[in-house]
Amino acid sequence: MRSKVWILATVVSALAILLSACAKPTPAPTQPPAPQPTQPPAPQPTQPPAAEKVTIQVMVVDYIPDKTDKWLEEEVVPAFQKEHPNINVEFVYVNWGTLDETVQGYFAAGEGADILNLGSEYVAEYGDRLAPLGQYFKDWPDWAQFLPGTLDTVMWEGEPRGLPWLTAPRAYMCRTDILKDVGWDHVPTTFAEMVKLAGDATIVEGGALKRQGFTPLDDWQEYISLIWTLGGSIYKDDGSPNFDSPEAKAALQFMYDRRRAVLPNEQTAGLPETTGALLASDLVACQWGNLWGAPATSDPIWEKIELFPGFTHPDFPKSKPVVQVFNDWLAIPAYSKHIPEAVEFLKFLGSAENLNTYNSHFGSFPPRKDAWFGYVEKDTVMKKMGELMSQYGVGFADIRETAQFRDVLMAEMPLYFTDAQDLDTTLKNIQEKYTQILRDAGRLP
Amino acid sequence: MNPKLYTFLWAVATVIFIILSSLAVASVAKLIARWRGKNQLYQSRTFAGYFFASPWIVGYIIFVIGPTLASLYWSFTRFKLPEPPVWVGLQNYIQLLTTDDQFRVSILNSIYVTLFGLPLQLATALVLALLLYRRLPGEQVFRMIYYLPVMLAANSAMLITWRLVLNPNNGILNTLIRMVESVFPFLVPVRQVVVWFTELTNAAFLGLQRGDFNLLQQTVARGLPGPDVMPLWHQSQLWSKPAIIFIGVWSCGAMMMIYLAALCSVPTHLYEAALVDGANGWQRFWRITFPMISPATFYNLVVGIIATLQIFEQSYVLTDNGGPAQSTYFVAYYLWRSTFRFNKIGYGAAMSWILLVLILVLTLIQFRLANRWVYYEYEEA
Repeated sequence: MRSKVWILATVVSALAILLSACAKPTPAPTQPPAPQPTQPPAPQPTQPPAAEKVTIQVMVVDYIPDKTDKWLEEEVVPAFQKEHPNINVEFVYVNWGTLDETVQGYFAAGEGADILNLGSEYVAEYGDRLAPLGQYFKDWPDWAQFLPGTLDTVMWEGEPRGLPWLTAPRAYMCRTDILKDVGWDHVPTTFAEMVKLAGDATIVEGGALKRQGFTPLDDWQEYISLIWTLGGSIYKDDGSPNFDSPEAKAALQFMYDRRRAVLPNEQTAGLPETTGALLASDLVACQWGNLWGAPATSDPIWEKIELFPGFTHPDFPKSKPVVQVFNDWLAIPAYSKHIPEAVEFLKFLGSAENLNTYNSHFGSFPPRKDAWFGYVEKDTVMKKMGELMSQYGVGFADIRETAQFRDVLMAEMPLYFTDAQDLDTTLKNIQEKYTQILRDAGRLP
Repeated sequence: MNPKLYTFLWAVATVIFIILSSLAVASVAKLIARWRGKNQLYQSRTFAGYFFASPWIVGYIIFVIGPTLASLYWSFTRFKLPEPPVWVGLQNYIQLLTTDDQFRVSILNSIYVTLFGLPLQLATALVLALLLYRRLPGEQVFRMIYYLPVMLAANSAMLITWRLVLNPNNGILNTLIRMVESVFPFLVPVRQVVVWFTELTNAAFLGLQRGDFNLLQQTVARGLPGPDVMPLWHQSQLWSKPAIIFIGVWSCGAMMMIYLAALCSVPTHLYEAALVDGANGWQRFWRITFPMISPATFYNLVVGIIATLQIFEQSYVLTDNGGPAQSTYFVAYYLWRSTFRFNKIGYGAAMSWILLVLILVLTLIQFRLANRWVYYEYEEA
C-alpha cells in the first residue's frame, strides 16, 4: 500500500512538472513607461524586414550593479525598441576577471554575444575577428563627433570595428600647496624638472617615506606614454619592437632617475597604507593617473591641485606632452548573425545623450565632444581634463600581445629600478623577449 | 521551444543517462566477476556495489579523467583559441625546459618556498602540537585559534588583510617589532642581522636564478643595514618570498592537528620505561616521540610539498601578480597566465604536466626514503 502511495505521488509530481513545462510562458509584467531620454533627432536607421523579430545579445563588463544595468534594461532598451520594434536586446554581465575567457569562448564556439564590451588594448588581440563596420558608419553624421584619440582604439586595418563607449584619460596632477612649500611656483614642464621636483617634494624619515614626491614609480603604462611623449613609438615600421630607440632608453632612464630622487635606496619603506585618494592625503605631491584614482572632483582639495598633460625634453625635438586615453568600447564580432541590427543598437547607445548618462555613472568621459554637457560641463576638473584630452590625447591602443608584453616589462623594469641590472641590459632583454613573443604569435616573420 | 520544457527534457535525459551508465558499469563488473569464476552471490553483490558507486565513477571519468586526457593531448599541440589545436610534438616541453626563462624563474621560486618554508611549517606545527598536548586549561580555545588560519590563509580577503599587516611603513607586524625593540633595545642589532642575512640569502638566490649577481654584490657592499631598515615584506623582491613563507607558517594549523592526533597515539608505557631508565626530556622526545610520530611527519611532508608547489593566490593577491620583479612568480601562477591571459592553452597544459611529474617524482623519492626514517608500530608487531 505504502509503495503504491509513493508511486502515485511520483507520477503526479512528474505530471505536474510536465504540465507546467508545457504551459505558455507567462507574459512579462507591464512596466511603467520609461522616461524618454532627450536626444537629438536620430538618423533614420535602415530597417530589417518588418516581419522578422531579432534578438541581439550585448556582453557588458563596464557597469555598476543596480545602476547601469537598470538604466540599460529599463530605459535604453524600451526607448530603442520604440524605434526598432523588431529588435530585442538582452544583456550578459561579466566581470574583468572572466572577460578574456568569456570572449575567447565566444570566438572558439563561433557564436555568442553580438556586441562585446572590450578594453582599450583589445583591438590588437581580436581585430581580425571583429566585423568591419566602415560601411555602416561612413554616412553616419554622429561619427564626426567622436574624438580622434578615442577612435584610435576601435580601428583595425583601416576599418572601425566598434564604437568607443567610455573614456578615461590619464594626466599628471600636482598639489600646488606642497609645491609652494618646497619652493616651486609652477608644475614641471620638462623631464629634468619632474625629477628635481620629485626629489624636492619627498620626505624620508626613519628609513620610510613620509611623503612621496611622485607616484607611481614603476608603471609600465606610463613608460609607454613617456615614449610617446618623447616622440617615439613602441613599434618600428616593420612591426618589430622599438626598445632599442633613443626614446625608449631616455624614458626608462627618466623613470629610474625619478625613482632615485624619491627613494634614496631600495631599503626605504614605501608609503603607509591609507584610505582614500593619495593626493588628498598629503602623502603624495604629484601623481599620474585618471580621475578614478584622484580625489572626487567635488572635493575642495582640487583648488590646490593642478592638472597638466606632462612635459617635454629639450634633447628630443619631437617631444610633446601626451595624455594617454583609455577607451573601453563596444565591438561587433564577425560571427554575429545580426550585424546590421547590432550596429543600430550601437548607434543608439552611441548617441550624445546616452553616452553622457552612461559615463556619468562612472565619472568618466563620453568619447564624443557633443556629449560633454551636464556633469562634464558643470565640473571644472572634468572640463579641464577634457580639454587636455582633446588637445593632447593619444589612445592606448594597438598594444600587441598585451598580456605577455606587460609581463616582460613587469619583469625587466623592476630589475633595472632596483639596480639588479643596468639600463642597456634591460632594454636588450625587453627588445629580445618582446620580439620573440611577436614572432611566436605570428606577427613577425 | 519552451525553456521550461527544454530544461525538463535535459533533466530527464541526465537522469536516464546516469541510470543507463550505472547499469552498464555494473553489468561490466558483474561480467568480469563471472569470468573470474565467482559465484552468483558474489556477482550480485558486485553488480549492486558498482551500480550505486557508478554515478560518482562516471562523473569522475567525464569531469576529471576526460579533461586530464584532453590536457595531455593539448600539451603536445599549439592551441590558441579560436584556432583548433595543431600538433607540435614535444615543442612545448622543450621550450619550457630549455629556453623559457620565466618558467625557470617560476620553478625556482616554487622550490625556494618549498625548501625553506615547509621545514619551518613542520617545526612550528610540531612545537604547537607539543604545547597543546600538555593538557593545559583552555586547550580547546587554543586549538581553535591555531586552526582558524587554516580556513582563512589563502582566502583572498585574508590575503588583502595580510597586505595591510605586512606594509613596511605602518603595517602591524613592523609596528610590533618597533614596539618590542623600544622596550628591549638590544633586539635592534638582532633585527639588523636578521634583515641583512635575509637580504643576502635572497640576493644570492636571485643571482643563481638569473645568472647575474649584481644585487648580491650590492647587498654585500652595503654591509649591515642601518637601525632604521625594517623588513620590506611584499614591497621588495628580497622579502616577498619570506613574506609568503611567514603566512604559510602562520597557517600550519592543519599540520598541528595531525601532529596532535599522532602524539595522542604514542603509547605512554614507552615514556614510563624511559623515565625508569633515566631519560631526560630531550632524549624522550628524540628517542620516543619523534620516531613514533614519524608517520605524521611523513604525511605532512608529502602533503606540504604537493600544496606548496601549487601556490597561486599569494602571487595573485598578496604580491600583485607575481611581483616585485617576478620574485613571487610561481609555477601555478605562470600556468594560469599562460592559459587564460596569454591564450597559450597547449603551453599551459604542458606546464601543468611538468608540474605533475615533478610532484610525482618528489613524492616517489619521499616514499622510497621513508623506509629509512618512518616507523610504523605495526611493523614491529
